Amino acid sequence: MSLPILRMQGICKSYGPGIIAADDVSFSVDAGEIHALAGENGAGKTTLMKILFGMEKAQRGEIFINEKPVVMADPNIAMAHGIGMVHQHFMLVDDLTVAENVSLGIEPKRHGLFDREAARELVRTLAERFDMPVDPDAFIRDLSVANKQKVEILKVLARRADIIILDEPTAVLTPQETKRFFEQLTALRKAGRTIIVITHKLPEIKAICDRITIMRKGRTVGTYDVASISEQEISRLMIGSDPLPEPILESIDPGPVLLSMHDVSCLSPSGKSALRGITFEVRGGELLGVVGVEGNGQRELVDILTGRKTAYAGSVQLAGDSLQGLSIARIRRHGLSFIPEDRMKDGVDLDGSLVDNATAAIRDDRQFNIGPFQSDRKLDAYAKRLAERYEVRHESLREPIRHLSGGNMQKVVCGREISACKTVLIADQPTRGVDVGSVRTIHDHIELLRQHGKAILLISSDLSEIRTLCRRAIVLHQGEIVAHIDDLAAYTEEELGLYMLGLKRQRTTEAGS
Amino acid sequence: MKRLSAFVSRLCSWFKSQFTSRHLLTALIEGGRTLIAILIAYLVAFAVIGFVSDDPEMAIRWFVFGPLSSPTEFGEVLKNATPLLFAGIAACLIIKGGNFNMFTEGAFYAGGLIAALAAIYFDLSGILAIIIPLACGTLAAMLIGYIPAKLKAKYEVNEFVSSIMFNFIVMWIGVWLISNVVIDVTSGDNATAPIPDASRLRILFENTNVTTGLLIALGVAVVAYLYMFRTRFGFRLRMTGDNKAFARSVGIDVGRAGVSSQILGIGVAGLGGGVEILANYHRFNWKTLPGFGFDGFMVAIIAKNRPLLVPFAALFIGYLRSGADLMAFNTDVAQEVVQIIQGLILILVASEAFFSSAWFRGVIAKRMFRRKQLAPVGGVDDHA
Ligand SMILES: Nc1ncnc2c1ncn2[C@@H]1O[C@H](COP(=O)(O)OP(=O)(O)OP(=O)(O)O)[C@@H](O)[C@H]1O
Ligand SMILES: [Mg+2]
Repeated sequence: MSLPILRMQGICKSYGPGIIAADDVSFSVDAGEIHALAGENGAGKTTLMKILFGMEKAQRGEIFINEKPVVMADPNIAMAHGIGMVHQHFMLVDDLTVAENVSLGIEPKRHGLFDREAARELVRTLAERFDMPVDPDAFIRDLSVANKQKVEILKVLARRADIIILDEPTAVLTPQETKRFFEQLTALRKAGRTIIVITHKLPEIKAICDRITIMRKGRTVGTYDVASISEQEISRLMIGSDPLPEPILESIDPGPVLLSMHDVSCLSPSGKSALRGITFEVRGGELLGVVGVEGNGQRELVDILTGRKTAYAGSVQLAGDSLQGLSIARIRRHGLSFIPEDRMKDGVDLDGSLVDNATAAIRDDRQFNIGPFQSDRKLDAYAKRLAERYEVRHESLREPIRHLSGGNMQKVVCGREISACKTVLIADQPTRGVDVGSVRTIHDHIELLRQHGKAILLISSDLSEIRTLCRRAIVLHQGEIVAHIDDLAAYTEEELGLYMLGLKRQRTTEAGS
Repeated sequence: MKRLSAFVSRLCSWFKSQFTSRHLLTALIEGGRTLIAILIAYLVAFAVIGFVSDDPEMAIRWFVFGPLSSPTEFGEVLKNATPLLFAGIAACLIIKGGNFNMFTEGAFYAGGLIAALAAIYFDLSGILAIIIPLACGTLAAMLIGYIPAKLKAKYEVNEFVSSIMFNFIVMWIGVWLISNVVIDVTSGDNATAPIPDASRLRILFENTNVTTGLLIALGVAVVAYLYMFRTRFGFRLRMTGDNKAFARSVGIDVGRAGVSSQILGIGVAGLGGGVEILANYHRFNWKTLPGFGFDGFMVAIIAKNRPLLVPFAALFIGYLRSGADLMAFNTDVAQEVVQIIQGLILILVASEAFFSSAWFRGVIAKRMFRRKQLAPVGGVDDHA
């Protein structure tokens, strides 16, 4: 093979006394390869890439581009060397449009002024070429997480980077989108670009990557040829042992109906019909999966159930009470808890401590209050137990949660909501960005919750996640339920795919059953 | 006895958990940053004094050591610090709740006016002569402050703009009242009747102007700390201030939390106004806004919005102003020099990048790596 296009040598990074994120890490990438960077949550993957991109400074170590030493003082230098990065947590301006975000910093000019039309055109051609349809005039704040991710990717592609760093780009994409995205990546590789992908999805690594570097606890375990290493070996190298097996679904007698929707319809913010005649029910001890390509009404469904969207027709019942007109606070008091899709916006208070975030949903419980005061000791103990159970890698309970790695933040959100759940759990992409080992842990806890007679609604773009956890599922297509599935195991992925794409639907009599 | 020793040992372990080496280091870093900011500001101020004064040495001496030269002078520092303390706490409550309500200014005015009127017209005796006027002033401020706060929660009216307008509405109504309605013509001024002696706050130390108002202020700081960091209401307030979307999604009524943060802050400012009048004035005669409300935001920024640090920040600003007073009185340098110092400190403290703690941490970490004291992988000690 050719000389490495990029080499990082002896990188040491500490975020402060005792917090070591990279400990003498060396990493090298060849020109024209797709290189995977894997490791458990908090292993230091994002940190290493931020150092490469000039966003964090290493205390020691050198970076070579084409064997020439480079000091990556800030991202501008990195970009000048042809490096582009898609961040794990979006770096987009909420109040600008998609076109403005993509062209930020490389604005097309006409008579010295920003050429809006050219920017739109740029987005349109890129979106078409890479098969990632987004509306160039939409504001970022109105986009779903998956669409924001696409904008992030387009942003880097628009900058024509030679070395593209992708920090969990597919965490929020659907399998179909991922597949198309990977075809594009392969095409880019053919065109001579070099790509570094961070991902927790091992099949993806096997599918498109040439080599893989595995990190563990701030050190590199080694670099391997993907062809010569199995998925199992990868996960063993990542976490040091075999991951737990997926939970075995034990059947229990379904309890009373805890969550139901009857003939619910609503409009999207832009006035289009978003949901039409949605009817389903979930009993205690049941886990209902919501299958569908992202953007087919999942968001509205969740917003209605959690009280964030109040304008809809039809009735929604939680443990026998109507949700109509109830605030989120009231709905929560009825025993509903929910894992939001967008962890950075709705899931955590980045400035709050681990304790603040882990206990936010149970603060009002009597056991944590002594008169007007809160028992710090009990809250700390609760947070500590939660962090242990959900394998949250943290330095201190008091540190702001923004210091946690992305996957560890997600574990805090999952832990908080699953532990606080009294009757119904809405889990919207619960394991997004979580490593293989911890995915199993979270699945275990969700399954345990079900066995305790709670009703759970699971929305996931990962079909295999739904298949491992659910027996029953509904398939959403363009705001309608096109299939009620009572025994998920009896359907193949292809069949489900047909429903998801709207190529097939159950007859109404069948769907009503 | 046993319970006492158990309590002591729990206290010790609490302290240990709060002040582990890492926390201590972080606190030192933060404190060091503020100290350096102050130092730089002083150096610039000295340069300015050196430039404008014929006798810079004298001016600097009055400026720096004047406030410490006698108990009476130090008493002035404490007196100056008292309203700043109230205002700083008020600003903490408001900022932490994610608001920028400037009505603290009007609240000082309204609280002072209503407290004076209550003292004059109720003419009570004993401890009630103090409590009732202060309570009236506080409540009056809270009532008026409710309007901009609610306007924000309900109709998303920008509280910054509406509260500033309310300041002027309140002030001009007040000026009209003391010029026409509650005016005491024998005073020869647009002012109320004299405040009865029973309602004047008692002097704490002989030969100084330090009153029990200082104790009230310190008490308020402690209560505000407990409220913000030890109760569930304070938790709701902080979460709402940090991330509204998050607070809403974990079931906090963000509208209510936002309103209560503003109302409480304004109440504290109203109380501060009442204390200021009952402590230092014979009659209420304010014809402009006192400026304490705005100062409060400065104090809060220097104290990093932490109620327990507010007394220190207020003390420092009080000291600065006493020094400026003495310098202006005794030498040829104008008082305004102090504005330069305040401005500089504010800019340096507020600009995160200036000696950011990340930079400091980096320096420390670098030394750590150099000394090859790397912690073993996975063996990073956890104090939690
Ligand atoms: N700003 C920060 N301050 C302090 N510690 C930090 C900071 N950012 C990251 N860390 C710590 O550094 C370690 C590595 O974090 P990093 O984000 O690189 O992990 P990661 O491998 O990307 O994990 P994930 O798969 O969850 O995204 C973690 O233990 C994390 O707590
Ligand atoms: Mg990461």
